[in-house]
Amino acid sequence: MDKRRELASWLDKVLEDFQGVQVRRKGHARLRVDVDADALPALLELLQGRAGYVHLSAISCVDWIDEEEFELVYHVWSYETHSLVSAHIRIPREPGVYLSIYDLYSPAAFFERDIYEMFGVYFEGSPRMEKFILTEWDGPPPMRKEFDTKQYVHDTFDWQEYDPDWLQAIRAKGGGVVE
Amino acid sequence: MDWQALLLDIVLMPLVAFLVGLLMVLMMRRVRARLERRIGPPFFQPLYDIVKLYGKDIQVSHGFIHDLGIIMVVGGYITVEMFLPVPGLVGLAEKGDLIALAYLMMVPMLGMALGVGQCANPNGSIGISRALTAMLGYDIPFVLVIVAVAAMYGTTSLPEIIAIQQQGGMATWGIATMPVMALAGLITTHVMLAKEPFETYIAPAEIATGPMVEMGGKFMGGLFVVQAFQVYTAGVLYATLFLGGGENWLVFLPKIFAVVFIPFAITIVFPRYKAGEGLLWVWKWPTGIALLGLALILM
Amino acid sequence: MGNKDISIPVAAGRGGGSPYAGVFDRLVDFCRARSLFLLHYCTGCGAIELPPAMTSRYDMERLGIQPMATPRQADILLVTGYVATKTLKRIILTYEQMSAPRYVIGICSCTVNGGMYWQSYATVKKLNEYLPVDMYIAGCMPRPEAVIRGLQQLMDKIEAGRADAWRDYYRRYDHYLGKQQALFGEHWQTPSDIIGEARQYDLLGPDSLGEHTTLLEQYQQPLEMPSTPVFGRERDVPEDEGA
Repeated sequence: MDKRRELASWLDKVLEDFQGVQVRRKGHARLRVDVDADALPALLELLQGRAGYVHLSAISCVDWIDEEEFELVYHVWSYETHSLVSAHIRIPREPGVYLSIYDLYSPAAFFERDIYEMFGVYFEGSPRMEKFILTEWDGPPPMRKEFDTKQYVHDTFDWQEYDPDWLQAIRAKGGGVVE
Repeated sequence: MDWQALLLDIVLMPLVAFLVGLLMVLMMRRVRARLERRIGPPFFQPLYDIVKLYGKDIQVSHGFIHDLGIIMVVGGYITVEMFLPVPGLVGLAEKGDLIALAYLMMVPMLGMALGVGQCANPNGSIGISRALTAMLGYDIPFVLVIVAVAAMYGTTSLPEIIAIQQQGGMATWGIATMPVMALAGLITTHVMLAKEPFETYIAPAEIATGPMVEMGGKFMGGLFVVQAFQVYTAGVLYATLFLGGGENWLVFLPKIFAVVFIPFAITIVFPRYKAGEGLLWVWKWPTGIALLGLALILM
Repeated sequence: MGNKDISIPVAAGRGGGSPYAGVFDRLVDFCRARSLFLLHYCTGCGAIELPPAMTSRYDMERLGIQPMATPRQADILLVTGYVATKTLKRIILTYEQMSAPRYVIGICSCTVNGGMYWQSYATVKKLNEYLPVDMYIAGCMPRPEAVIRGLQQLMDKIEAGRADAWRDYYRRYDHYLGKQQALFGEHWQTPSDIIGEARQYDLLGPDSLGEHTTLLEQYQQPLEMPSTPVFGRERDVPEDEGA
């Protein structure tokens, strides 16, 4: 176990030597790496081929609406050192397009399809960019922060009429249902 | 016998079969429940099920052939009951023998195949093809048992077989004179009743109950009625061939209930054979035991 | 603790003029209440409370309730848990395949008023807008004792002859279809011919036909029959190894 931690912490020093890469260690098995968007495929290829990070755990997306950027996070895992490296990139929100890493990691197709459905970020080169969860949905991508779920729900659906006396008594005292 | 007595017998025999069969279905469900440490349904439950199913306000049918299929199933079993002699009711049993009975017992399955084909549901088609495969399986030991019994008693007429056994007393019962054959007969009864491990054609989780997938309302009601007939026929046939029939109902009822109790009690612990595996097992063990019994009889 | 009565008003005057008509109906209702077949198709997370209710501890079979595998054979459709829009389409398809009288029970709070997922854009908040619901059992999830208590209340309702929500589907089909079309779009159709069934069994009501049913007629296409006989299909039939 200690040898593994040694190997994993050795990676910090190697990555810090590169230009434009910001490394932060989050725990004994978690490493956070911030790179530019165009440098990511090279970094992932390096991690996969030379450092043994062969397993893509997930690709997540965060919507920074005030900064008008999407943040994509690529989590890769190594079986030998039992450590996770999360590579964070930022892409501009307006075209919302990035390239796919399907050639490096084939499970990426699944995550990219999911992010396309939920956030609207298009990945060029990914084999199947179709909907699979929200097949009956034709509104905007729902996970974007500009989509107001509560407003949509109040517009589209009706509520049950339910006004028992105990709720009326609470309302009379100034309370009520919290929205 | 004159035609009035015959008519009375023909009407009464399926009715008696239905009522006793309902009790057997209740016993089946109660035994299963008790072995699972539950209580089980109340006494009239099989009757409630049948009345509810026939009392559906909107029945969904897939066409004339679908209806005809169910009519063949229920009608086939009613006809089988007319040929099965019980204490006090002989009906048509003197005019038809074991061979006719074995032939008639295949008609309900073919009727179900007809009805299921019209339903055009792939689950039903898979289920009925497995059911017919299973029928191919159990017919071999079944025919061997029938041939052996006929060879032993020298006759294929059921009332004569009963008379021979009752005259000689317990020593001439089938189970005493040909015990190996009786064992093969019991295993074949278990397979014919389609209880686990031979229940692959009604597999509820795999093929959504197979042939019964599109049957609802009156069709399902018919199948529940047929279930009562089926357990009754199995019990009565075995008791007639191997346990000496019965002089009166007081002696006959415990025999037929004991015969079907054995498969019901052991079925719950088994998983399910696949269609091909079940077929090969049936062609190996019950058939093997039946052939051994046949050899012992003919020697 | 009073239960709110959300029953749908039942049209009076069921049965003919003869005094014996009522006796037969009472007998059939008596048997219906004591033999209920659940559809063992559980739509959401609340389904986890059904196996304990069916097995040894809280045995449901002593009340006459047993699970059945397909909608054609079942009486009760249990909507357990949250109903996504995608699931609602399948629930409606399943409901229309069942033979009447059929009962819908909304188990868990998500079917009542949205429950835990009330803010979600993809779940349906009020189930009885799209299907006539006989009984709601609130909880998250309700314990097996609560489920059985709810089923017992449904049995009492059936025996009293008041569980007629399925007729309401035919009587007000236009209303239900309108809500379904508002959610799914104008091209929504199911293989079951509800108006045809209503005409056959004399169940039409004042609200059965309307603008939404005319819209349905425009878009309805006949069910396509397979070109090859069903025994010969190799594509969708699962492999039967060992047969």
